Amino acid sequence: MNLLGTVEGTVVAAAPLILAAMGGWASERSGVINIALEGKMLMGCVFTVLAAAASGNALVGIACGAGVAILFALAHWSLTQKFRVDQIVSGMAANAIAFGAADTVSKRFLDPGLTSFPSLPLPVYWVSALLLPALIWLFSNRTKPGLHLVATGESPDKARQMGLSPVRIRFGALIFTGICCGLSGAMLSTNIQGYANDMTAGRGFIALAALIVGGWRPLPTLAACLMVGLLQQLRIEMMGSPVFGVEIPGWVWLSLPYLVTVIALAGFLGKNRTPSGLGKP
Amino acid sequence: MKARYLILFLLVALLGGFALAGGKYPMAEVVKALASQSVGDARAWSSTLKEMTPLLLCGIGVFAALRAGLFNIGIEGQFMIGALASAVVGVNAPAGPVGALLALGAGCMAGALWAAPAGWIRAYRGGHEVITTIMLNQVAGHLSLDLLKGTFQAPKSSFPTTSDVPESSLLPMILGTPQFSLGLLLGLGLLAGTWVWFKRTVRGFEHEAVGANPKAATLAGVDPKRVLFRSMCMSGAIGGLGGAIQVLAYERRAYEAFSSGYGFDSLGVALLAGGNPLFVAPAALAFGALKAGISGVAAIYETPKGVGLLLLGLTLVVFAALRYRRDALREAA
Repeated sequence: MNLLGTVEGTVVAAAPLILAAMGGWASERSGVINIALEGKMLMGCVFTVLAAAASGNALVGIACGAGVAILFALAHWSLTQKFRVDQIVSGMAANAIAFGAADTVSKRFLDPGLTSFPSLPLPVYWVSALLLPALIWLFSNRTKPGLHLVATGESPDKARQMGLSPVRIRFGALIFTGICCGLSGAMLSTNIQGYANDMTAGRGFIALAALIVGGWRPLPTLAACLMVGLLQQLRIEMMGSPVFGVEIPGWVWLSLPYLVTVIALAGFLGKNRTPSGLGKP
Repeated sequence: MKARYLILFLLVALLGGFALAGGKYPMAEVVKALASQSVGDARAWSSTLKEMTPLLLCGIGVFAALRAGLFNIGIEGQFMIGALASAVVGVNAPAGPVGALLALGAGCMAGALWAAPAGWIRAYRGGHEVITTIMLNQVAGHLSLDLLKGTFQAPKSSFPTTSDVPESSLLPMILGTPQFSLGLLLGLGLLAGTWVWFKRTVRGFEHEAVGANPKAATLAGVDPKRVLFRSMCMSGAIGGLGGAIQVLAYERRAYEAFSSGYGFDSLGVALLAGGNPLFVAPAALAFGALKAGISGVAAIYETPKGVGLLLLGLTLVVFAALRYRRDALREAA
């Protein structure tokens, strides 16, 4: 086994998860359930490719991909905070609209012969993904806005009594969620230099899973994402060959992140750390 | 009530018309084609009723859980696992009505088993059912694909699919023009049964009580945990039955990407139906017509399949916004 190759493969697989999971962190720690990370990532993929190819500029592409993802995040904000729509329903709808829009837009406007588009070098994404959790830790533990955000997610009513406006704090948090998911999508399309049908392939849900297994804390979430990345890399390197004398079927490899999340939600992996204000108005 | 549906219809028709035509074709023409492809003639009605069947069953499944306050997003996975189980049993059981019954039962059982962990974790361990069912959906996808490529793959097939269920085990059409399957009749029967169960039985009343207010239900002597667990398993069983009926009435086999998103669509169906189970039928019919119409239009106007999902999502947003806005206003008053 080639150690350097394994490390690189792990980071490549984990980086989009980390970005999306940190986006999810901001949303959920401010009290907004967000099951639509997947949809926002997919929007990031499509619109990055589309805008970068059309403008010939990598940054315009990324700005456009992240911009559409922000629009989706703000739609979620307005539906859940202003219209008081159930946060799960709004998230479901956002995912449906994003899947539908990605298919529609890519078939209508994307050149099927596209083989490459202007993009930033991948290491830029890797470094930002690996640094982001540490920055978020600093933000949430050492700065006032960070503490306000976490406090809102724990108890919106008490935050209100402190004179904070949960609705406004969540506005900022969801913009951050949009940016992170958009970047994560931009990175995925840079990986394959184009857009493929359903290219996020459940990564948004894995990111959500990592966030939960990591107890909604940035550094353990980073560790969870890296674990998933390592698993994916090991699967590529070891699929078909027995582990400790046991042949592990492919579906178990692929399902491990999800199965671990289910077990974590059953409370078998330490205490339940769900932000206590999650989903409250 | 009526104004709500009218506004919903107009908004979605406008946005949808734009998405459908994509600026290339006259919108009115595409919308007219959409109507004729879904309810225009007997052939169009056949495909609308075919699309309606899984939406109706999964819709009932989601509805049943929703009444007890549970969001069963896992219906997609339960549908797939149910379809797989019923196809495997249907292929191997003796051909005929007995085989059909065994296959339907297998679908139910498999769906219920797939939902059970989510129900148990929600009821007894406090883990949110939305997240667990999302995760179990992903696992169902990986597991069924592995089984379709391995143990259950049809001999001599290079595709991930099971063998065909024998002709005599299938659910027949009870009407020829438009085609109306026994499977759809079963679905409508189940819907009537659900209505009776919720309105006329103690168990059904207990479910509604837990959904409305778990604390009050506890004081009235209901055990909410047991009700939540039972409700999730029931919902899963209905989803699995939906998969089984899809196999026995239309597809004859289970294969990769078997469900074209029926699980997700049925969430829209159940939400549109609101509080009355009987409204699940018209909601399923409406979404079925939309799905059938879009696949019909797709061939003529190069409409991408995603437009259907886009329209469903938009409908959900508009409907949910109107509905919850009204609730919020009532609370404020």
